[in-house]
Amino acid sequence: MDDLQYFKDAAASNEWSLIWPEISVGLLALSLLVVEMLVPKMKNRLVPMIAMIGLSVITVTLVLSWVGMGVSYGESFAGLLFQSGFGESMRLFFLLGGLFICFLGYVTLQGRAIPRVEFFHIVLVVTAALMLLAQSNHFVMIFITLETVTIGFYILVSYFRNQPISLEAGLKYLILGGLSTGLLLFGIALLYGAAGNPQLAGATAEGLNLQALRAFLLNHGDHTLAVAGMLLVLFGIAFKVAVFPFQIWVPDVYQGAPTAVTAFLGVCSKAAGFALMIILVTRTFNVETMTSITVPLLSLMAIFSLLYGNLTALTQQNTKRLMGLSGISHAGFLLAGVVAAVHVDWAVWAVVFYLFSYMFSSFAVFGVMAFVEGKNPGEGEELIDYTGLYQRSPFLGTVLGIGLGSLAGIPPLVGFIGKALVFIALFQAGLYVLLLVGALSVAISIFYYFGWMRTAFFGDGPDTEKDYPAIEVPLPKRVPLAIIAGITVFLGFIQVPLAAVLGL
Amino acid sequence: MTVGLNEFLAISGLLFAIGFTGVLLRRNTLVIYMCLEIMLSAAILALVGFSRFNNTMDGNIFVFFIITVAAAEVAVGLAIIVALFRHRQTIQVEDLNTLKN
Repeated sequence: MDDLQYFKDAAASNEWSLIWPEISVGLLALSLLVVEMLVPKMKNRLVPMIAMIGLSVITVTLVLSWVGMGVSYGESFAGLLFQSGFGESMRLFFLLGGLFICFLGYVTLQGRAIPRVEFFHIVLVVTAALMLLAQSNHFVMIFITLETVTIGFYILVSYFRNQPISLEAGLKYLILGGLSTGLLLFGIALLYGAAGNPQLAGATAEGLNLQALRAFLLNHGDHTLAVAGMLLVLFGIAFKVAVFPFQIWVPDVYQGAPTAVTAFLGVCSKAAGFALMIILVTRTFNVETMTSITVPLLSLMAIFSLLYGNLTALTQQNTKRLMGLSGISHAGFLLAGVVAAVHVDWAVWAVVFYLFSYMFSSFAVFGVMAFVEGKNPGEGEELIDYTGLYQRSPFLGTVLGIGLGSLAGIPPLVGFIGKALVFIALFQAGLYVLLLVGALSVAISIFYYFGWMRTAFFGDGPDTEKDYPAIEVPLPKRVPLAIIAGITVFLGFIQVPLAAVLGL
Repeated sequence: MTVGLNEFLAISGLLFAIGFTGVLLRRNTLVIYMCLEIMLSAAILALVGFSRFNNTMDGNIFVFFIITVAAAEVAVGLAIIVALFRHRQTIQVEDLNTLKN
């Protein structure tokens, strides 16, 4: 009868209201399919509009609900989810991310002979899964949400199914994504087995629950199976966030995927991995016997990611690959922040702030890329194609300049604040080697970001004979880009709004 | 002889190693995909074994989720492989080299 009582309690306490944003996004995704059926003639205009308006409404309501009722805190759904300020801020992050991806999808899918409604449907489903992922507190929840995201991305990466380049990228992502799933799952199985071993004192029947697992690890953090499981789980996630040495898939997949998907992959998928890293490394595996392994290991991975990403990006001519490789170095920064968060509590917020700053600045760049690229695969993706962009379209040139400057970490922009916070966290945690490598990699990154800017503003590309046409951006499509660029500048000067949201 | 937890884990570890090396070494995409499935099976076997010998049901329940997810993954994955084969008439890894610097 205990089970029945449990369900009665669950019904009485109505925990479903806690995940109303996810449910709303899911319903919005379903409603898009209905709209497609009801008004087939207008679907290509109507569906992106409904997706964007719906997401905006949910975002605003979420923020208002914080102001009105405050942030809820604690376990729900029998320990499957854990509500916290961190989870709430990641919810906002993924909602904003999904919103801008819908806009990018609207821009890049225009004029292509390819079904469009499914794109927005999958983006919304993935967004809902990402939001749940950031609040999960149980390995089953983590696995289901992560796989919903990953399988959604398999489809999105190979979305241009009439272009072999997109399918090839999809296949590469499929194989390496599957490999990471295998590592993650086997790691989970080992952790579950170790935690449930009846011969060990403090064994738990709830080995899949992160809190119960942590309680077990406090006593048995050096158990061989548990350590092996932890390493496999971390390696599986390292594939998703693409840190060295699990970054091999990045350039190819980023290049082959549609630009909107590249942005989604580079920002939201990476953020999901880091949300998991924070949940696992700083909240679950943060027992002394395990941090003695995770801290050096993750520091090393961060150092190599920072160097590898920046050095390979130096000679890169394809902008999508460039964003992927520089993304590896940003992942290095974020991983360094996670390592710092093991020692310094507030460093979690430095990582979240960095994620937000990375989102705004790279969306500015990806937004410009969506307008510069051509309809054929690979057209308008090289650095040369940006020659004199400022003369061809002052608006796009300005947005690109702001985005790249922020990614490089130039002082008045938000990227600088994000990097500064991570540096302060590293200093307080006493990780001086990471700090040094981070500073060095900022210096290296300025070369390629400024090389791109120089091409766009002064146009001394190698092939100046070629005629580059002006790019017209209609006013309604300027608005989202202008907002993103505006936020990037604004948050560089005044961090209070974002800090208030994050609870810094 | 009774089959204990160690036998389960040995087989599971072996399956995982076979799958992992297969993914790294094989050149045919379909075979690689099979190896990925072997890795998932290894995790499933380990979960079932632990579940049986730890006397908890969580592992068994988790297996149902894994099977469902694996089915979804195969549906999408095979679709991508078939679509690619239609364009390129090959699914050998070394022939998939359109994406380059």
